[in-house]
Amino acid sequence: MSCVLNCYKSGEKTVSTLKTDLTVANVMLPAHEIPVAPTSTILKEILDMMGRYRLGIVCITNQAGKLEGVFTDGDVRRLLLKDQKPFAALFNDDIGVHITKNCTTTTADAPLTVAVDVMGSKRIWDLPVVGQDGVLVGLLHLHPAVSTLLDLRKRQE
Amino acid sequence: MIKTITVGYGAVRQVKIGGKEPLAFIGGPCAIENRDHAFMMAARVGAICDKLAIPWIYKSCFDKDCRSAPDSFHGLGMEGGLKILEEIRKEFGVPVSSDFSAADWAAATGEVCDLVQVPAYLCRQTNILRAAARTKRPVHLKKGQFMSPWNMKNSVRKIEHWGGDEILLTDRGTFFGYNMQVNDFRCFPIMMETGYPVCMDVSHSIQLPTSMGNASGGQREFIPYLARAAAACGINALFCEVHDDPDNALSDANTVMDIKYLERVLAQAKACHELRLELLQKWGEDRVHLEN
Repeated sequence: MSCVLNCYKSGEKTVSTLKTDLTVANVMLPAHEIPVAPTSTILKEILDMMGRYRLGIVCITNQAGKLEGVFTDGDVRRLLLKDQKPFAALFNDDIGVHITKNCTTTTADAPLTVAVDVMGSKRIWDLPVVGQDGVLVGLLHLHPAVSTLLDLRKRQE
Repeated sequence: MIKTITVGYGAVRQVKIGGKEPLAFIGGPCAIENRDHAFMMAARVGAICDKLAIPWIYKSCFDKDCRSAPDSFHGLGMEGGLKILEEIRKEFGVPVSSDFSAADWAAATGEVCDLVQVPAYLCRQTNILRAAARTKRPVHLKKGQFMSPWNMKNSVRKIEHWGGDEILLTDRGTFFGYNMQVNDFRCFPIMMETGYPVCMDVSHSIQLPTSMGNASGGQREFIPYLARAAAACGINALFCEVHDDPDNALSDANTVMDIKYLERVLAQAKACHELRLELLQKWGEDRVHLEN
């Protein structure tokens, strides 16, 4: 376990050396099990969602379900340091003005090891999974992905 | 981009407020006192606005429900007041406006008025906002003296929820302790974030709420300063209650401005509004904070 986690810390790409046919689809959380909200949702409700789902990310979509961006725990930290608004004003902001657009995504048919390597190199814990049309279909969360790969590694040893 | 709303249905002149439209004026006596006075005031306001080429909306209320004392002048009532507004509308070809203080007054108000006003004290009441939206007229939503500008978005969303999509947001001052108000000019860019045009109510902004025991006081001397400052901030409309004899006005005697000063205030506000647009053209938009 320490080997795999150390690789994430150093950003080295090593999990892709594991031999597996697993894809992102095998591990991802489906869209109905993750926090998803439209851009007009206020920040206070987004923070509530993060707590309720126990995930550090909310995926922001348009009416057609297409991914517009994400808002993460890291965005909260940066926002608190950058924006000097009173909390009452900040909480009432539409999340659309604070999201990270053009975020890193993956697809359901992507090899799981490649997706995990991307997360390692970018130091992120979650990867939104989108279809060809950009519609959100799920979320690859690091914990189940690592657990799956660790199980695989044990079986291959 | 700030949305442009259009005030005026039927045969009256349409007044466009927002976007790059000229500064509009909304005003008249606080309350409709009688037919002759209302007509006289409309003629005087109209003459000044026409001279300055400022699009205008005649505002005067049929019922003043927020007076401080039970025996204060309450207004002519809905039926009588709206009849006068309707006549002024036809006579002058001008859009008219009144507020309404009870949800079941909204439909009748919207039948006549081109712009339906929500009183500041009632600006977050769901029943009132729903009723305003259902008139299908543009809604003039005043920021409550107790409200933060960013929380006005909640009231806007209520109106939108019931189908209203033409809204004018107005600052009329914010409580600064008891019996005192101040204007926070940050409220204009903050309320603009809703995408709707914004307005400055200069006569109520200088009010000292209920500072006179059972009546409100006011410091009219500050009106010109506030009008220029608000125009420089980017308001789309200026609101000011005016009277030919303020001391004897039946409502808001301590805050209505003598109409003899209206031309000088409006002319300066218009000049500031136009100068601001020129400056933005030359120097770019007001974005001096770091973008993502």
